[in-house]
Amino acid sequence: MNNGSDPLIRLSSVTKVFLTDEVETHALSGIHLDIRPGEYMSIAGPSGCGKTTLLSILGLLDTPSDGSYSLKGHEVANLSFADRARIRNREIGFIFQSFNLIGDLTVFENVELPLTYRGMAASERKSFVTEALDRVGMAHRAKHLPSQLSGGQQQRVAVARALAGRPAILLADEPTGNLDSRNGEAVMQLLKELHENGATICMVTHDERFAQHADRTVHLFDGRVVEDRMAA
Amino acid sequence: MFGGFLQDLRYGARMLLKSPTYTAIAIAALALSIGANTAVFSAVNTLLLRPLPLKDLDRLVFSVALREGFDPFGSSLLEFEAYRQRNHSFESIGVAMQRSFNLIGRGEPERIRGALIMADYLTTLGVNPILGRSLTLEEDQPGGPAVAMMGYGLWQKHFGGDTRVIGEKLNLEGRSYTVIGVMPPGFDLPEAAEIWLPLQTKIDSLPLTDRAVPGYEVVAKLRPGVSLRQADAESKSIARQLEQEFPQVRRGWGVKLIWLRQELLGDLAGRVNKALVALIGGVGFLLLICCANVANLQLARGFARTRELALRRALGASRSRLIRQLLTESMLLALLGGAAGLVLAHWIVPLLAAINPIQGISLAGFFHNFRIDSRVLAFALLVTLATGVIFGLLPALKGAGEREVMPSLKQGDQHSASAPGHGWLNVLIVSEIAIAMTLLVAGGLIARSFNRLQHVDLGFKSDNLLTVKMILPASKYSEYRQRIAFVDQVLERVKILPGVLSAGTTTNIPLEREIAYDSVFSVEGRPPVNPNDVPITSHRLVSPDYLKTLGVTLIKGRLIDETDRAGKPPVVVISEELAREAWPGEDPLGKRIKRVRPNQDFLWMTVVGVVKDVKEDLFNYRINRPVWYVPYAQLENNFPVNLVVRTSSDPARVIAAVREAIHAVDPDQPVSNVMTMNENLAGVLVTERFSAILMNALGASGLLLAALGLYGVMAYSVSQRTAEIGVRVALGAQRIHVLQLILSQGAKLTLLGVVIGVAAAWALTRLLGGLLFEVNATDPATFLSISLLLVSIALIACFLPARRALSVDPVIALRAE
Ligand SMILES: Nc1ncnc2c1ncn2[C@@H]1O[C@H](COP(=O)(O)OP(=O)(O)O)[C@@H](O)[C@H]1O
Ligand SMILES: [Mg+2]
Repeated sequence: MNNGSDPLIRLSSVTKVFLTDEVETHALSGIHLDIRPGEYMSIAGPSGCGKTTLLSILGLLDTPSDGSYSLKGHEVANLSFADRARIRNREIGFIFQSFNLIGDLTVFENVELPLTYRGMAASERKSFVTEALDRVGMAHRAKHLPSQLSGGQQQRVAVARALAGRPAILLADEPTGNLDSRNGEAVMQLLKELHENGATICMVTHDERFAQHADRTVHLFDGRVVEDRMAA
Repeated sequence: MFGGFLQDLRYGARMLLKSPTYTAIAIAALALSIGANTAVFSAVNTLLLRPLPLKDLDRLVFSVALREGFDPFGSSLLEFEAYRQRNHSFESIGVAMQRSFNLIGRGEPERIRGALIMADYLTTLGVNPILGRSLTLEEDQPGGPAVAMMGYGLWQKHFGGDTRVIGEKLNLEGRSYTVIGVMPPGFDLPEAAEIWLPLQTKIDSLPLTDRAVPGYEVVAKLRPGVSLRQADAESKSIARQLEQEFPQVRRGWGVKLIWLRQELLGDLAGRVNKALVALIGGVGFLLLICCANVANLQLARGFARTRELALRRALGASRSRLIRQLLTESMLLALLGGAAGLVLAHWIVPLLAAINPIQGISLAGFFHNFRIDSRVLAFALLVTLATGVIFGLLPALKGAGEREVMPSLKQGDQHSASAPGHGWLNVLIVSEIAIAMTLLVAGGLIARSFNRLQHVDLGFKSDNLLTVKMILPASKYSEYRQRIAFVDQVLERVKILPGVLSAGTTTNIPLEREIAYDSVFSVEGRPPVNPNDVPITSHRLVSPDYLKTLGVTLIKGRLIDETDRAGKPPVVVISEELAREAWPGEDPLGKRIKRVRPNQDFLWMTVVGVVKDVKEDLFNYRINRPVWYVPYAQLENNFPVNLVVRTSSDPARVIAAVREAIHAVDPDQPVSNVMTMNENLAGVLVTERFSAILMNALGASGLLLAALGLYGVMAYSVSQRTAEIGVRVALGAQRIHVLQLILSQGAKLTLLGVVIGVAAAWALTRLLGGLLFEVNATDPATFLSISLLLVSIALIACFLPARRALSVDPVIALRAE
């Protein structure tokens, strides 16, 4: 890959304004950001600086107040609910701070969920799920319920769910925030391996140690990019 | 201790005020079901429990005569005499015969309901005159004095309550009677009587056939300690003796004792009782749904209060203290609901009274006066308290017992629909749906049955018919040709009135609540098919044109017409059922049949026509009884003459003209019961209408509550699953997936409830058997349509929460802590 290739994601002049009780909060102001395929980017910054807001826009969970967002060269600003859901389902894999596994579903079913929404045939789903669970080393726990797993294991299942559908990009919001350092380290190791195998990752973290895993770090402050640094 | 209670109360009130929507929904549900219970109980109280102006009512019984295949009849003097001589169960026994009289010489001639009674009748009922005296045994002898007792209302109306009425004369049917007593207000047995004359009959000297006529009302008072069952068994054995002693008139007859109260409801077959029992079951079920519903609301809210309760435990509140607190809250809620329910009942009760289920006409002042008395109030309070305990107990136990310690935020919070306690929500909602299903099926079956009854083919066209009752006084119309002349002249005048299409007379208006005349018949050249059978037909003596006026359907032959006069060959028109019984499989036209009475000889009558079955007999509405129509002019009788007029438009419009026409023929002739045929018919299915309306109102209320409950559970579940839904949407769930998620959860609960409900209804609706007409208690169409109705309503109830689920913002998946 070279830096001159077309960006996977391009944000230009993206702003996000929340209006609560007549008070405007400028969560993001004039963000320009390109993310190239295969990049491993981390977003850092103090609490409240807009990291989650940025990620939710990248993940099509929220829409910018202004500015444009193109994914794989397509503008996504004016898509319908259904189209946005389809893009989330196919192009984006989410890893959440609180894992967000569904307690009523087994590990297998959790990982299968996005594939089900895609309308994929059962046999194909099975091979995708098995492969994803293999990659995170959780295949032997396929029939377990999330409550029977440790936090670290749950997050690995969540990673499997995020990558099972072979998305264009993995978005992770403080994926180690609810884990002890040993388990956190393990999850970071897993993301690193995925990156080495070609995955595009955009991860929010305020932990300097983990930020180092990425090959590019974007610093946010008060809704603006104040530093955009490639790893040495 | 008491201070603690006040504190609980204050705190409970504050908690209720804190969630006003929840409180309002709970109070509404409680009001609905406690109100329904109270209202139905007020009906039960009025009809079955409240005292009547009769002494020792709990020992008074009524004897009915039975014939295979018929609804019950009144009793005969034969039975009365046999009881009097042989029965050991009765302390006393009395007999009366309903009879109406024309009261002349006090303003407009007036028809008055009355009775011929034996002196024992009043003593058995324990009724004494408020003025004057009762009949004596001496007066009640053949040839005894012409004395009368009058009702309170009549006394007020004609004598203004003047106590000098004793000794005054009353002109009844042209004969003068001396007033000897005035009855207490409200007393009007039998059959809304206002005047009582001595029967003055020596039973032994009557011809056997007269003694066998089932036209009397026999009441008896049980000896203390004798049960209805024992007395009934003894009466039955006496009836069997009679059957052996007088086979010629008693073959096929049996007897049954029922409580007098049941008879007063006009309910010889016991349907009112059954209907009320079914309704009590119904309101009980409604109450259960309501309890489940409120318990569910409490539970759901209880989860929201888990932290508060855990905190109280942590601060040292004991388990029993917490239970007391929660129960106090439930009781407070129940009492509020009970109060609202009383207000609701106050509204409903007059509506119930308006569709009063009884056919009885006696003691109307008592039976139609549905009201909330102290007994109903006590019942309402009891139901309220029971409700409070039932719906409060489960949430109280759960609330006080679950999660002993502060719930620590578990690492990796699970998004789960099956948090502890949710199981109970589901159990309760499934029960609600199952009970609602049972109620709805019961209502559906009863409604279907009512519908069938309403659309039973009457055999005539009831629209645009006016009916008028006339009794020709024997004193004035002593010769039969005078009666015929009167009928002819009235018909002549009425027929030419504008708006009148045709007119005729009959001796009984179809389905009227009067003594209906029957006759034993014999078929030429044929002994009775079954030797145990005394064949009986409804016996109607009709003018030419009557059948045409009534609008019967002629199957073959001709109707009775102008040619069928006195002195002409005797003819008869018969119903299909009579044709079936008399000449099974043969053509009856031209065959001969005759009336049979011992010591009397009747002429053979030739069948000239067959008509489709006509519902003539109120008490045998559910079956087709044989009936024959004999030309009035050809068979001498002193039965009432009832005028039936077919009009081109609203029959009420010709009433005045018809009265005028009658009075032009005889200015003294009283005219009564002037009403349209449809008004008359409205009284026929009152019990069925009552239970149909009520059972369905209960079913609808149950459905409403269950739907509300389901809505509440689903809304609660959606609120609990917000985070999960957010995650699913973030993972790319489309709207349809979210809808499916919620609706399938609701559908699962609903289907489970429906399946259990179908099973329960299957088992329980059998009990409705006696109330249903031409509808099977397991009628698949009803079960199916009710299931579909319930599922559709349930889906609507789930749809609102599902729509709320659609609006969940997936960003929460990122922001949830
Ligand atoms: N839904 C919202 N409504 C109003 N303000 C919001 C909302 N979401 C986030 N914010 C505000 O936007 C700013 C950025 O928040 P966020 O992106 O969560 O920061 P970070 O993830 O870096 O801690 C904060 O000031 C926050 O209070
Ligand atoms: Mg954040």
